Amino acid sequence: MAGMMQESLASTSHDPEGPGDEPAKEIAGRSPMRIAFDRLRKDKVAIVCFVIVIFFILIAVFAGVIADFFGVSTESVRASERIDLRTGLPLEGPPNNGFDPDHPFGVAPKSGNDLLAYWLYGCRTSLIIASVATVTAAVVGVVLGLIAGYRGGTWDRLIQFVTDLFLTIPFLLAALALAPILSDRFGTDPELYTTVKFYSVIIILAVFGWMQMTRIIRGEVLSLREREFVLAAKVMGVPTRRILFKEILPNLVAPIVVWVSLGLPALIAAEAGLAFLGIGVSGRPSWGQTINTAVPYFEEYPLYLWEPVIGIVLIVVSLNLLGDAIRDALDPKARR
Amino acid sequence: MKRSKPIAALASGAVLLAMAACGGGGGDDDNSDAGDFQSETPPVVKVPDAEGPAPAIDGSEEGGTITVMHPDPDDGPSSLDPTGMWSVTDNGIMQALVFRSLTTYRYNPETGGMELVPDLATDLGTPNEDFTEWKFTIKDDVKWEDGTPVTAEEVAFGLKRSMDSEQLPGPGAYYSTSFFLGGDKYGGPYKDGDDFPGITVDGQDITIKMSQPFSEMDFWGTFAAITPIKPGKASEPPAYGLDPLATGPYKVKSFTPNQEIVLERNENWDPNTDPARHQFVDEFVLKFDQNQETTDATMISNNEESKTWINTIVSGTKYQDYTSAVGDRVGVYPQTCSSFLAPDYKKIPEIDVRRAIAFAYDYENVWAAAGYIPGTTREMANSILPPGMLGQDPDMEPIPGETIEFNPDKAKEYLAKAGYEPGEFELRWVYDDTNQESKDAMEQAKRGYEEAGFKTKPFPYSGGSTYDVWTDPENPIHKKLNMQGTAWCQDWPSAATFIPPLFKTGEQYNTGNFSEKSVDDKIKEIPTLPIDEQADAWGELDKMINQEYYPDINVGNINNLQAYGESIGNYTYDTVQGYPNLRDVYVVQ
Repeated sequence: MAGMMQESLASTSHDPEGPGDEPAKEIAGRSPMRIAFDRLRKDKVAIVCFVIVIFFILIAVFAGVIADFFGVSTESVRASERIDLRTGLPLEGPPNNGFDPDHPFGVAPKSGNDLLAYWLYGCRTSLIIASVATVTAAVVGVVLGLIAGYRGGTWDRLIQFVTDLFLTIPFLLAALALAPILSDRFGTDPELYTTVKFYSVIIILAVFGWMQMTRIIRGEVLSLREREFVLAAKVMGVPTRRILFKEILPNLVAPIVVWVSLGLPALIAAEAGLAFLGIGVSGRPSWGQTINTAVPYFEEYPLYLWEPVIGIVLIVVSLNLLGDAIRDALDPKARR
Repeated sequence: MKRSKPIAALASGAVLLAMAACGGGGGDDDNSDAGDFQSETPPVVKVPDAEGPAPAIDGSEEGGTITVMHPDPDDGPSSLDPTGMWSVTDNGIMQALVFRSLTTYRYNPETGGMELVPDLATDLGTPNEDFTEWKFTIKDDVKWEDGTPVTAEEVAFGLKRSMDSEQLPGPGAYYSTSFFLGGDKYGGPYKDGDDFPGITVDGQDITIKMSQPFSEMDFWGTFAAITPIKPGKASEPPAYGLDPLATGPYKVKSFTPNQEIVLERNENWDPNTDPARHQFVDEFVLKFDQNQETTDATMISNNEESKTWINTIVSGTKYQDYTSAVGDRVGVYPQTCSSFLAPDYKKIPEIDVRRAIAFAYDYENVWAAAGYIPGTTREMANSILPPGMLGQDPDMEPIPGETIEFNPDKAKEYLAKAGYEPGEFELRWVYDDTNQESKDAMEQAKRGYEEAGFKTKPFPYSGGSTYDVWTDPENPIHKKLNMQGTAWCQDWPSAATFIPPLFKTGEQYNTGNFSEKSVDDKIKEIPTLPIDEQADAWGELDKMINQEYYPDINVGNINNLQAYGESIGNYTYDTVQGYPNLRDVYVVQ
């Protein structure tokens, strides 16, 4: 409240000290979004988190360029060039030797894969999968929520039922069951199989991620559709589609943004979980897979596990805090 | 024929899974250090006049409980029905402790090898001149765990039951049915009645007629599948598999399929009738599907609990930690199994391409990526037969004039001989997509093939074991491949349990569909030769198959890493089973 008061005071009152020095500040009405954004800019935690998120996005986008810059690649090499075959541990660099400039993050035991390259491309995999799945889930959730909330009646009951149904299906069980089915169906074509696995992870995450969105939107719409401006639009004969998109949807931006910013890190973690269980993506690096392989080496080679774990923790925590900050900023009742 | 459980050590590596048969032939003293490990094994000696009780063991003590840990993926037996037992783990436990058979193995502390001794029979059986008839006399003082005497009729019923390949698929469905006279048409006592002319009982004597010369009935007689079974409702499958009746020194106290077996003393076991087994320990607890990391960490910590543990699979990455923590109580033990790449004999008909694969396979790197220790848990092999088996020739050159190793230039030469430019010939094989080690091993193999001038197309499989693909010609992936695989352990130290299942036309584990009449003829002919010529004849056949056809590429012999706790007394290794010798262990109090 305090924040809001200051904001509105600053923007509505004239400067008492210098009347006439410069043209009076224009008295401008500011949209709620604008207010929220201004608040967000003053939130140090939000700024730091935002920078971290941008950092990871840049890594994901320019993974190839960065890898080339360090002279590393995900190409598999003859293991014995980098690995002591008797112990399975790297010949140079961590854990037994110091920093190895050729492989800044070290190399994986047994296979000798470069860990920096795997980390960079793993970041890309995580972010692509999580963001595409989040957007898909958000779109599905918003559409179904709008329909359920606005149309009501049979549509509402049907969508509510489907939502409940999906909420009862255990996500992990479904994912575990789907993996062998896909393998059987597409296993005869290795390239297609890799693609199918990639998209299937997105689909699984999206299919099991839209339900909460639908519920939130439905609840909001139920209250919005009884508000005067909607009723007025209805009375004036505005078409339903226009009411939904022009009158109701803009009022839902806040919950959608909050949901997306909190859903994204959850899906990054879920994707890593799937990969850890061996049912995630296949044929491309991912953080979850690296964690899966690194666990048995934690004692001998802790760095191997820490790299992907720190990556995931950093981005998930940053996104979560950023999401919290956005929610606070958008919530007029939040104390700042 | 059904495949039994994969050998655990192989499954974890996942390059190749082993057909789980009974290990054999290998040998090594139990204090071996990985550095100077030798696969030389003392051959199995037959001691037909061995009598109970088993030789005393110096310093042995009574009492205590021994826990045998089997880390994942060894998930142990799903049923304890003796007729179905055909894996290293199942036989290693139950043959040694619970089920007595016609014959059995005994550990010889002087040689470190195993001896074949009579068990239920009074001797190792009497064959007729051409090995088409065997006669065994059953001891009259052996008792069941309920105190009733074991009769020859019950032994005969067990023999007949082993031919029930539908309800009780096991080793008998392979050996009994193919060697016993009329066994190929007999479906076991439940389906075709108790009347089987191939086996006759006269008092304490059992006579088995063979459909073809079978000189190794005394070895086949060691199997749990040859144990006596009481006819009647109680022994009907599948219920019998939950609570079988013991004849050995231990009986089943509790059994949770694929998780745990608890064995306790069988008071009705008479040591005077048993030349091979002891009963030092009060209880054996056998745990399956255990967490590898936890088991290793507990063993290395050497806490009170793990002092009476035996760990059957030590992870290769922890080997160094083990040696510093438990010293010589960790060791390398031969599994006497070999794993093969099996190029499809029809799709890759050119012998020079198959030879090129042998030079294109980057042995050490693939092994290391798969979690083996090159030279320790995996060793280069030259022949089909594993080292130590009679007839195996360690100097035989599978490709005349060549030493097999990873050599991309040589591979290119052979490809050129077959008329292929580098990058022209495509290899298509399957790998397990659910396991990172298997994926890494695939990457190493792929890189080696490509360096050697092959085009590659590995097929991911995540539906289970790659055996599902290899052994099923109807599998859609199988049809796309031009290279299958298999891994094999012999059932007893004889080439007869090794070469025919892998290279006879139409056999299930002949996954590359190798088919040559000359080889089939030899496989048929060798068992009819005089017994002392057979081993060399198998060795010659091994050489002929390799040098003339080179159908399969042997990608290494397999050894196991095992460890035992501080309080385990007299730990020895059963080189025939490829499993710890549980007959003679005790707990140091």
